[in-house]
Amino acid sequence: MNNFVLELWDDQGSSCSFYTVRWLDCEKSETDLFLEKFEKIPELQEPLQSLLSFILDAIGEDHGAIDALFNREENEVQGLPMHGKVRLNKVTFYYPQFPLRIYALRLSERLVVLFNGGIKDAQTNQASSLNSEWREACEFAKKITRAWLDGIIEVDSTGRILTDYNNNKEIIL
Amino acid sequence: MRSTIAKRILDNTPEKTRHFVRKQADLVVRINELLRAKGYTQKRLAEAMGKKPSEINRWLKGEHNFTFKSICHLEAVLGESIFEVPKRRVFTASKGVFFEVTVYKNKVKPANHKFEDWKQDSFKREQFLEYGE
Repeated sequence: MNNFVLELWDDQGSSCSFYTVRWLDCEKSETDLFLEKFEKIPELQEPLQSLLSFILDAIGEDHGAIDALFNREENEVQGLPMHGKVRLNKVTFYYPQFPLRIYALRLSERLVVLFNGGIKDAQTNQASSLNSEWREACEFAKKITRAWLDGIIEVDSTGRILTDYNNNKEIIL
Repeated sequence: MRSTIAKRILDNTPEKTRHFVRKQADLVVRINELLRAKGYTQKRLAEAMGKKPSEINRWLKGEHNFTFKSICHLEAVLGESIFEVPKRRVFTASKGVFFEVTVYKNKVKPANHKFEDWKQDSFKREQFLEYGE
């Protein structure tokens, strides 16, 4: 896996900060690429707004990254927010309720790393068109978790800010 | 700090959407907290409510649009309030003037105090502050 940057994405909420990952040779983070992609699809505008409100309002501001608001782990990552169904043009994708998925790694109730995501069109990640995003998110998560456990990444006294061992806030892994 | 794209999308999100998402999350968190506090498992709750465990699981994961009836059913089974509907209480001021406050703790029912009495009665004032704010 190539090197990437672990960087702050949002710390405006009072309960939880969100980080994201960005490839070293890319200007935009994986989470911003996800938002930008689905913002352009009118049928997905409302689900995208709901997903973002769920992340920034419900988790970031109101509750923090608590168990009740996260799905079960799918290997190293967890999908947000729920399961879904949506009709795009003449094709209907079936899944329990929510059309979009974004993958996340929960480091604590006050720290979450967001990755890329997409439309979940099958029961499992393995069978879904999201398979590549899910596998990539798992690889990111493995590397971040190892760095976290090895002390390469540290968290400040507020529990909301990550730094590397040289106190850099832009962490290259 | 907030991602520019996230800020733009959130700024364009209708207030009704954000309100719904937050309320739904509040509901899921509240129900999960109550179950934990009362030692209910999903299976036991399903039995108590006469539902399938899979349906209860959907409730607890926020995949279900609760009906008013289902919330009331849950409140009855758990013996706790999940949603509070604020009520307006009328207070009588001097010379036939009334004023109203919204009361968020509905189980406590403050009497219809006379305003002048209330102003001079620290006990009632404390009651008002506790119930009315």
